[in-house]
Amino acid sequence: MRTGIFFCQTEDDRNLNIDAIAKYSANLPDVEVVQVFGPGQRPEITIICDLVHSNNLDRIVIAGEMPGYFKPVFTRAMAICKGNTDEVRIASFQEHGAKGENAIDRAKAVVACASMGVPFPLVAISGGNPVNHSTLILGGGIAGIQSALEIANAGKAVYLVEQSGTIGGHMAMFDKTFPTLDCAACILTPKMVSIGQHEMIHLFTRSKIESVSGIPGAYHVKVRQRARFVDVKSCVACNQCTEVCPVKVKSEFDAGISLRKAIYIPFPQAVPNAYLVDETKCSYLLSKGEKCGVCMKKCPKECINLNETDHIIDLEVGNIILATGYDLLDVSGIDQYGYGKFPNVLTSIEFERLTNASGTTGGKIVTKTRQINKKTGEEEWIFSPDGLAPKSVAIIHCVGSRNKKYNSYCSRVCCMYSLKFAHLIKEKIPDVNVYEFYIDMRAFGKGYEEFADRIREEGTYVIRGHSALVAMHNGHMIVRGEDIINDRLTEFEVELVVLAVGLIPSHDTKELSKMLDISVDADGWFSELNYNGSPTDTEKGGIYVAGMCQGPKDIPDTVAQGSAVAAGVLGSITSKKGIGHLSSIPLSEIEKRAKTIHTI
Amino acid sequence: MAIRVNPGFIDVLDKFGRENIQLCYQCGDCSAVCPHADEFYKFPRKPIRQLQMGLEKKIETTLEPWLCYYCGDCSDLCPRNADPGATMMILRRYLSSVYDWTGLSRKFYTSYKWELGAITIIGLMITLLFSVFNPNGIVTSLTPEGGVKVNEMFPVETVNTGAHIMLITIAGFLISNIIRMWYFTILKDKTLKISFSSYVIQFRQLIIHFATQVRFSKCKDKKYWGFHWILMSGYTLMFILIVGNLKWFQTDKIYLWYHPQRLLGYYSTFGLLLGLVYFFYGRIKKADQIFKLSHLSDWIFIVLLLFTTVSGILLHIFRIEGMPVATYYTYIIHMAVLVPMLCVEVPFSKWSHLAYRPFAIYFSELKKSALSIRNREKLFLKHN
Repeated sequence: MRTGIFFCQTEDDRNLNIDAIAKYSANLPDVEVVQVFGPGQRPEITIICDLVHSNNLDRIVIAGEMPGYFKPVFTRAMAICKGNTDEVRIASFQEHGAKGENAIDRAKAVVACASMGVPFPLVAISGGNPVNHSTLILGGGIAGIQSALEIANAGKAVYLVEQSGTIGGHMAMFDKTFPTLDCAACILTPKMVSIGQHEMIHLFTRSKIESVSGIPGAYHVKVRQRARFVDVKSCVACNQCTEVCPVKVKSEFDAGISLRKAIYIPFPQAVPNAYLVDETKCSYLLSKGEKCGVCMKKCPKECINLNETDHIIDLEVGNIILATGYDLLDVSGIDQYGYGKFPNVLTSIEFERLTNASGTTGGKIVTKTRQINKKTGEEEWIFSPDGLAPKSVAIIHCVGSRNKKYNSYCSRVCCMYSLKFAHLIKEKIPDVNVYEFYIDMRAFGKGYEEFADRIREEGTYVIRGHSALVAMHNGHMIVRGEDIINDRLTEFEVELVVLAVGLIPSHDTKELSKMLDISVDADGWFSELNYNGSPTDTEKGGIYVAGMCQGPKDIPDTVAQGSAVAAGVLGSITSKKGIGHLSSIPLSEIEKRAKTIHTI
Repeated sequence: MAIRVNPGFIDVLDKFGRENIQLCYQCGDCSAVCPHADEFYKFPRKPIRQLQMGLEKKIETTLEPWLCYYCGDCSDLCPRNADPGATMMILRRYLSSVYDWTGLSRKFYTSYKWELGAITIIGLMITLLFSVFNPNGIVTSLTPEGGVKVNEMFPVETVNTGAHIMLITIAGFLISNIIRMWYFTILKDKTLKISFSSYVIQFRQLIIHFATQVRFSKCKDKKYWGFHWILMSGYTLMFILIVGNLKWFQTDKIYLWYHPQRLLGYYSTFGLLLGLVYFFYGRIKKADQIFKLSHLSDWIFIVLLLFTTVSGILLHIFRIEGMPVATYYTYIIHMAVLVPMLCVEVPFSKWSHLAYRPFAIYFSELKKSALSIRNREKLFLKHN
């Protein structure tokens, strides 16, 4: 078949050496024309028609980062020239993962396959490596828990590695889930307990992977487990150590709105249900055993060993699942909302802990009360169960999301959880005024739009218009914004402000991507192989992504991905075909295979 | 009344220096942060929405862009980097071209060839006029104080007549444009009934805002207002001295330094220089939002003003020091810059904001009072 290859580039293309690929493709069999269009240069239909005519082309290959964008022009040109429009083929570098070290070879292979009319995955992915039956899961949030259970229930071993002292992740911190208003803990804690009790799951809390080597199907992973200083097996969570511990620090689990001790349990339902010592705060450990150590003396089971050291664990696994989740954007840099300056401006996660029945106020929504710190004599604002309920609350959407200065993407969950907050406030405080300031209401899921309607009907003021600033006037907080639908500028006096903070990739995403040699996208989330076709696979065989670490998503989607990943892992174990690896085949081999199929 | 939509309207603004208007997703942050937006005039978001929708006729009647002083707070806050402040600036250029019935304003704003060409042609004509038709030529004899006999070289009567002709022409254009502005913004809006008394009562707004630009001081950073006011006062004073009172200002006799003629001249020169240095520095350094985007018309007007000021200072020095030849040529250069600046910039280009802005505030107050009466009536009817 007489083939013409056209390279089309959009302006924001990455710097692949298109000329080198063009030179290579000119030597491919049956290639008559190779034409390169520069970035931003649009292929003209008349030029294409002329080339098709003069060279009598039967097949057109459009090559580039995202060549699908240009397909309509070429299809039309082919139709005008009375050619077969099915022979307009796409050679997408992005889709087939031409990036990283051997990007050029991959791109060449993609073009070669397209020019011979052979689907790229058919020749470029092959099974081969035998698969170790155990799986490593990084991250013990809902995504990691879900896939761990799916795989373990199928009878395969799972190593679940979690950075903090307990599994559960962010979901354990939530009060209710939208739109059904189910209690988050009621869904999560049974799953957590099953993780702890499952004979096929080996749980490593306070652990991080240090290095990964090997090939898909047989990875060697080195895990460092930080010392817990408490023996998990013998600890009965009697709480006596915490009672005597003199050190008080902000609780991570309570998003910093309450205090915990240096020896603590993150929350009562933690798995493993045992105490741990924060080595960065414990005065015994900081003073190298000179001070304190009262917890050791107090413990009736003698399970505290403050001289414990870190453990290094070597694992042999076949598949690795990344479920590392997300962090919240630091909003103290966005000074227009006064976070950190005004005491009663909260982030969404802080509010989530405030309204949670297991939170510091027992689920009572209150404003902060001022008190004098007895030790330092400084004034501080704390949440106390005796605090006053706010009469009016403002919830501001899109703080740091959809904003070119911070995150240009939509964090996807904020609209819905903000509406959920409005409901919880209305439910708990009678006669409260709740103002929701939104830009666009993104109620996209099943039952979400109905949920948004319900919140409006409940009497929440849902205002179209992102409020610009929170200011203090004579001791009252004022939220200033424009109510666009009612065409007026608004100033509301509120007592509590909740900022719907944007989500960012977990802080160690970059480090992991380097260690595992997989890429992250422009916003820092792990890149999936194909957004539509294989959203949980990565370019590297045997490594999968699940949940938020691939991009913002809500709990239903996260759980679905957790299960989807398990299907991929179990498939690779049971199919006996082994794990294919895109980059494991050299260019010449791909060419040879393509030619064989081509000649058949 | 149906509103006609012109989908291509946004492209018309390309030529006036359009920025990223389509990026705006209507969050309203800009209107909320703007110190000038109030319950009647909610901008910049609303005019931007009208632009996006192509409501050309609606934009023609809007006064909001003139109420903006481009402090840049909105652009700093804009989550989309859509630069609403710059959009207001562009709308001001566009509106100036709408008010101008000759069509020259549109030409000058959209084509640098037209603007520079007009300035060059008028400049050459003035040079020709002064050098060829000057009866006396260079008068080398000096006055008893040792100054140059400027009035003999360039008879003050003749120059003054010329200045008055120019003044009448400029004023004619400018006033007719203001009348058109009034037609577009007040008269076209049939729903508003503005009483004669309110025209009289609100007239003070025009005077106050022309003289002080006090609204500018409502912006967060007050130094812009300070420098702008100093420049403006220097300019206006010099304009009055030269165009209105040339006979008193251009004398052969050299007065002592504390004479009002010299003091007033020195003040306005100082104001002009200080303002110009500040604006040049800002526009070159581009550190503040207000100076980030400079259209050609912005540059031309400060460059011409700088040339005029510097040549004016030199003229003064040469005259006092008794250097007839230098005085002669500097005078011609001074005129060849000053006249085109006034003829082109005042009625048709950047300088016209000197008139449009106070009038826009005047008109906006008129509208506001009419609107508040209407709102009160509505409220009254509702309650009864």
